[in-house]
Amino acid sequence: MTAIIKRTFPIDPAQLLPAITPDNEPFWSALTKGHLQLQACDGCGKVRYPIAPVCPHCGGNEWKWRQMSGEGTVFSFARFHRSYLPEFEDLMPYVVASVELAEGVRIFGRLVGRDVKPQIGQPVRLVIEEWPDGRCVAAFELV
Amino acid sequence: MNMRGAVSIVGVGSSGLSRSSTETPITMAERAVSMALADAGLERRQIDGLVNQIGSPRGPDYDRAASLLGLEVRFGAQPWSHGRFAATVLQHAAMALTWGLADYVLCLAAYRSSNFGKHGSKERNTYAESLRDGGGPHAETPHTGLTAPSGATALATQRYFHKYGIDPAKLAAIPLAFRRHARLNPGAVMQGELDLDKYLKSRYIIEPLRLLDCSVIVDGAVAMILTRTDRARDCPKAPVKLLGVQGLHAGPNEFIFGLRGLGIDQASVFDEQPRWQDQLVYRMAGVGPKDIGTLHIYDAFSPQLLFVLERFGFCAPGEAADWVQGGRIELGGELPCNTSGGHLSEGQLNGWGQILEIVKQLRGEAGARQIQDLRLAQWATTVGDSIIFGLDA
Repeated sequence: MTAIIKRTFPIDPAQLLPAITPDNEPFWSALTKGHLQLQACDGCGKVRYPIAPVCPHCGGNEWKWRQMSGEGTVFSFARFHRSYLPEFEDLMPYVVASVELAEGVRIFGRLVGRDVKPQIGQPVRLVIEEWPDGRCVAAFELV
Repeated sequence: MNMRGAVSIVGVGSSGLSRSSTETPITMAERAVSMALADAGLERRQIDGLVNQIGSPRGPDYDRAASLLGLEVRFGAQPWSHGRFAATVLQHAAMALTWGLADYVLCLAAYRSSNFGKHGSKERNTYAESLRDGGGPHAETPHTGLTAPSGATALATQRYFHKYGIDPAKLAAIPLAFRRHARLNPGAVMQGELDLDKYLKSRYIIEPLRLLDCSVIVDGAVAMILTRTDRARDCPKAPVKLLGVQGLHAGPNEFIFGLRGLGIDQASVFDEQPRWQDQLVYRMAGVGPKDIGTLHIYDAFSPQLLFVLERFGFCAPGEAADWVQGGRIELGGELPCNTSGGHLSEGQLNGWGQILEIVKQLRGEAGARQIQDLRLAQWATTVGDSIIFGLDA
């Protein structure tokens, strides 16, 4: 289980979060328990993201939620010098990465910490941020 | 069934572009429509089809546009309220014409963007899309910090630079070329002289993208009238024929601002080796990239030219950043691109400025920017849609 860190915000971040739906509820619910879980196809075994009713690799409709190890590497990253949203103002400049998880799938997540200087290929590990309303969000830290 | 050359653009009009217009979109639209009708030598009552972009809240929807512009149409259509659909709009017009659903289709893009917030901000009318299941139309996921369309574009660019070991400064060739073109176009909104030093001092928006790598949002309207080429001889101007077309691609391996195989958003990582011979737009037109005299692209961000050049086979994967150096993409070069200045310098009217420029270039009406002996012009985007235009059958 990944430790959950409380994140404070300059304003209420409720408007950043997608609604919970029958499709994504297990994903969001697992994060609140300290786990990142994604869909793994029963047919080809591949893990996919975003959450979808069909496997983009083999077309299979059967799948199970699988807990990710939380280990990964930086696939790409981008440093935001414009915040666009006041919820990120206190983090400026902040870095978002595309992280390739050990399970082979890539997901987006902020790299936590000040002045992070990532390299492509650098190892990262999952961190889970708890937001004010109890919702939890996956982010990453450089290892 | 080969539709090569079956449909032509016979009239064009523009309201002119402005960074912040005080006019309403419908007033700008009417100016563009009147100009296009005069250009085509047609009466308003002859227009019986309307394909509209971009709709509310930034501009009129197709039904109100028809009502307020006095158009009685029997074929109306409008894509979703995003910028990527210029070729799709023209292709819908072409399909309606070849199926006999209409005889003269007006394609209209009319909108005002300056009264909405920046892309990615909550004041922007499209913000709610980024909260949908699966993310926004440019891989926005605000809870990760990936807010604006430029976010995943920056990720794609960073990965592309890494994959091929490219010096980011090479990107400068693109905004510099387009600015030189804009300075020959009095209608372009960005007229200041640019050089490499100014480019490198331009602030980062989302690193590695700088301010000068991002398009300039404008207000304006463009209207174009299309008809079947067999009717086009009644119109005064030389018909600009659609010689080859290729639709907008979508799917798990497509990211709107990246390359197939690069692995951005949901796309898998694979070794993509595009062949122009496989692409419908070239097969239909019966030509290849070497025959194209000018290329016009959807440049929301500079790296998109690199991705288009590779996707459509103008150069090999990983070579585009070198390929664009030394004036090759400028007027007088081997393949002048976005000769009116593009989104980066003429202004972002979602591709309509570029298509208007294609018409002017092929007709010989491009003034100081005129390319001599031009036969074929191509529109193409990173996400695969394309049209090849020419005067000859």
